[in-house]
Amino acid sequence: MARRDFHPEEHPFGPAVGRLVNRLADLPGVGRKSAERLANHLVSCSKREALELADAIRDVKERVHRCQRCFNLTDGELCPICRDSRRDAAVVCVVEQPRDVASLEATGVFQGVYHVLGGRLAPLEGITPGDLTIDSLVERVRNQGVRELVMATNPTLEGDGTALFITNLLEGSGVKITRLARGIATGSVLEFANREMLADALRGRQSF
Amino acid sequence: MSTEKSDALVIRLADFSESSRVVTLFTREQGKVAALAKGAKRLRGPFEAALDLLSFCRVVFIRKSSGGLDLLTEAQLTRRFAPPGRDLNALYGGYYVAELLDGLTEEHDPHPDLFDAALRTLDAIASGSDPRLPILQFELTVLKEVGRLPELDACCACHQPLELGAAARFWVSQGGLICPACSRPEYQHSEIQPGTVALLRALADDDSTLAQRLSITPRQYQELRRTLTSAISHTLERRPKMLALLKF
Repeated sequence: MARRDFHPEEHPFGPAVGRLVNRLADLPGVGRKSAERLANHLVSCSKREALELADAIRDVKERVHRCQRCFNLTDGELCPICRDSRRDAAVVCVVEQPRDVASLEATGVFQGVYHVLGGRLAPLEGITPGDLTIDSLVERVRNQGVRELVMATNPTLEGDGTALFITNLLEGSGVKITRLARGIATGSVLEFANREMLADALRGRQSF
Repeated sequence: MSTEKSDALVIRLADFSESSRVVTLFTREQGKVAALAKGAKRLRGPFEAALDLLSFCRVVFIRKSSGGLDLLTEAQLTRRFAPPGRDLNALYGGYYVAELLDGLTEEHDPHPDLFDAALRTLDAIASGSDPRLPILQFELTVLKEVGRLPELDACCACHQPLELGAAARFWVSQGGLICPACSRPEYQHSEIQPGTVALLRALADDDSTLAQRLSITPRQYQELRRTLTSAISHTLERRPKMLALLKF
């Protein structure tokens, strides 16, 4: 039998729980059943625990904004990465979204700083250079002694197109422009790597 | 519900959820298809990162009889569209092919010849040669396939054949060329030189060898561009977005 979705006012536990279930079900990756389970947990847990969650959400919405330099998310004027004097500010990694910064930081390999574009150029969807932070990046390169730009836009046609647009824009600026390597992952087996990955790996081969 | 297999070109991608996407495909056997690809953003899975804009893939999808989104179950990459070097114009040329396929074709209305022409055009653009001629030829192929190719052989007003070597005028709202005798000052039309008319006919007949043999002057390019922009915009009922970025 199909599961019945309640209107908030008709929820058997009352409209307050109904509204909470609806809000939770709006979150990405949360279906109706999971929303009911989360709502039940919040109803049955201690008041302190539930209100801490509510306060954390309020804090994030009221205090988190874009870093003035790199457009990463932060609750200060500059993000922790831009504030960190041990990082090499002359090497800037260009990414599409703040979550890409989190992924790259998780590797613990990169010691430079970031620039978050806020998306990728997609002229068919009406996303133009004016919708991204490309002007700020160009200004950063020209006025803040940037030595190398590491293009870490997504390896898609539009991601590569965005990197190409920026590269053309900075032609003659003297900045070294690199991009992330592509190919097979360490620990994988050549036999099971797909054709595209093998071709990328061959094209990007390095001296031993 | 039926399972379909087809060669396909990815012409639009839209995020649906954290890892899923709605993919618009132009398939050889089924025409335009909009399908949900669950887990399309994941590296591992049935799509293996094949679903990128303008990728040429072999796909399997389940066609929904209810009229809802079809369900893409498999995609195997045949080749990606790779614009040459640092050529943004080539990239925009590829986007333009996608824009025309998406804007001018209907769902589940197959056009195998148009599919082949799209692949040929993308290959020509990716080869690094001048993209203007392949794009002009593709525009004419799209118009022909959707039944909106302007009349190039006879006058739209008096229906008399237009003689080879005679100048003509293009009147988009009447659907093609008109002869000098039928032209009126109040008509909104643009003049076309006889050489440009011959080029238009050669390109529309898919006679690429003839088109390549003819040397095209800057003025003829301008006239071809103006004529086709007018015809495409009239059919699409708007000016294509990519024409603002393409350098012809």
